[in-house]
Amino acid sequence: MKRKKRDKKKARSSSANKLSLFQKPGIKFFRPCPLSGKDAPIIDYKNIKLLRKYMSESNRILPSRITSVSQKKQKELSRAIKRARLLALI
Amino acid sequence: MNSYEHTIIAREDLSESQSGKLITKYKSIISENSGKILKTEEWGLRILSTKLKNNKKGFYIHLKLEGNGRTIEELEKAENIDNMLIRYLTVKVKKHDLDLNYFDKKQY
Repeated sequence: MKRKKRDKKKARSSSANKLSLFQKPGIKFFRPCPLSGKDAPIIDYKNIKLLRKYMSESNRILPSRITSVSQKKQKELSRAIKRARLLALI
Repeated sequence: MNSYEHTIIAREDLSESQSGKLITKYKSIISENSGKILKTEEWGLRILSTKLKNNKKGFYIHLKLEGNGRTIEELEKAENIDNMLIRYLTVKVKKHDLDLNYFDKKQY
């Protein structure tokens, strides 16, 4: 009798793992920061090509939740974009 | 000694002799006030993204220099009076990158 109960429990848990409707999207959608790491490009107000990637078509800064830039690098990025705007480069 | 990057936007209707004078004028101001220029870059005539003081185009000059706060103070004091300039920007950097030029057409 005891064995049967255990088997039932196992079956339930395995079926629950397959359900993806209420699962948190933790591991699945994780993307590392594109601006930190070994071969990452340097953020600079003169590097317009890089800054353009992190701006919308109407020249607004994209939020980090879309681009997955880390908080530290997002701060640097926004400062660089504002400097480039002051010089009318972007 | 601190290291700074200084960018000047001059007016479009600047002749070559005038632009040469402009650079030498500010170079002398820097060297008089215990500063030292490491590199000058001319980015040339560029279209401004927005109108600045009714100008559509501007002539960009970029200086990489070493000096103290006094040098920058005197430099900006002279630039505020100059009506050939549209705008300037001074940025303090930890270390100069002398090889890289983002506005060189051969590299980029």
